[in-house]
Amino acid sequence: MADKRAAVSLIDVRYAYPGSGAFSLDVPQLSFAAGVCTAVCGHNGSGKTTLGKLAAGLLRPSQGSVLLEDEDIAEWPLGRIGKQVGYLFQEPTRQIFAPTVLEEITFPLTLNGMEEEQAQELARTMLARFEMEPLADATTFMLSRGEKQRLAIAAILVNRPSFLVLDEPTTGLDARRKGILGRMINTLAEQGVGILLISHDAVFVRRYAGVTYRMAEGRML
Amino acid sequence: MRGPHPSEPPQPPDPRAVFALAAYLSLFAVFTQTLWLMGALLILAASSAILLHVDLARVFKKLKRLWQVVFTVALLQSVFSPSGEVWFSAGPVVLLSSGGVAKGLIVLGRLAILILGGSLFATYGTRELIQGMIQLRLPYEIAYMVSVGIRFVPLMGEELRDSLTALALRGVVIKELKLRQRLKVYTYLLLPTVAGSLHNARALAMSMEMRGFGAFPQRTSYFTFSFSRRDYLLLAATATLTLLTGAVMIRGGVT
Repeated sequence: MADKRAAVSLIDVRYAYPGSGAFSLDVPQLSFAAGVCTAVCGHNGSGKTTLGKLAAGLLRPSQGSVLLEDEDIAEWPLGRIGKQVGYLFQEPTRQIFAPTVLEEITFPLTLNGMEEEQAQELARTMLARFEMEPLADATTFMLSRGEKQRLAIAAILVNRPSFLVLDEPTTGLDARRKGILGRMINTLAEQGVGILLISHDAVFVRRYAGVTYRMAEGRML
Repeated sequence: MRGPHPSEPPQPPDPRAVFALAAYLSLFAVFTQTLWLMGALLILAASSAILLHVDLARVFKKLKRLWQVVFTVALLQSVFSPSGEVWFSAGPVVLLSSGGVAKGLIVLGRLAILILGGSLFATYGTRELIQGMIQLRLPYEIAYMVSVGIRFVPLMGEELRDSLTALALRGVVIKELKLRQRLKVYTYLLLPTVAGSLHNARALAMSMEMRGFGAFPQRTSYFTFSFSRRDYLLLAATATLTLLTGAVMIRGGVT
């Protein structure tokens, strides 16, 4: 993994969904440190996912700014943000594109200029870390939800992001796979990757998050 | 039986009457090649949409990208089928001619009428449209599938947008790719969209069957439509217009 150090900061960020009129999120100051897994917990509709999407540049703030490595990302195209930030959606089906598991990991690498053999080697290493190597040639459409979740995480990590947003990453994972994911989070944090973990899984958060925030009604408590 | 309370705003016409009007507009918009007739149909379609309280500004805004395509198609039609008086040319290549512009306007009018014809149903709820189709003797299963299909169109659009976002977040900048790579990426985009649609369709089908959909050969509806005097007038007007337009097209050799 790369040892790029990164942190995301939100400064006076307010966000209103189009047509809603009212602000769904109001965060005066919040930083996600590099090398730390920061968890955000809260009830449904408290604004956790909105916060994650703002931190990853998927949503642009109505007011205020989001800084990635001290640079305002307001004008950055998503493709540029994607080279540094990884985002795991709540529904993994939406971020699986290729017909086979191996190709799912390799295609962004080869599109960005990596040799096919090198990409495959890297992909197999990543699949092995998530115990998915036997499924390398499997059709992605036929995977279970848990397998899709693991594949989506592996596909994000192979891009070596410096900041990672995991929105409910433990959904569909059994206890053993949760353990693997947790250890992976620890390793990434040790390597300097900043992680925003959005989760309802209190046990997982207690075990693997370095810092925990709570949200309610779009505000940090 | 539909019966509005006196304090309620006026109810829209029976959807069956509107089906007839939309069929008339679409049919003649497809077949006519005459500018004045296309113009008349366009005015009629727009007036009908306004009378039915369709939010035309919203329809235009929602179909913003489609309109760009429509205008481009009309422009290409104008440039590539020159005829009549030449208005502007670059050497031997005619860029603007009276006949070409007329053909471009016909294409523009045709697509606009088809869109306006579809928008006539924007003020009806799903249940009303299904009931209208059932009372037109369409089997309930087919009517329901049509309504579900209509509902899935915006969902598919949303899924496609999400997939594009997810792809960009994997560090794939489509603009920076070569054409061959771009085409490959577009095929990748289809997988999550199609897979998502299949997943949604399967989940919906299971959910419907669990709730007894199709358990009995016949369904009874508490909610039914019956033609009012206004609906009969609308049907009569549509029939008259159909005959008149047909006669005009046949007599004048207008096709």
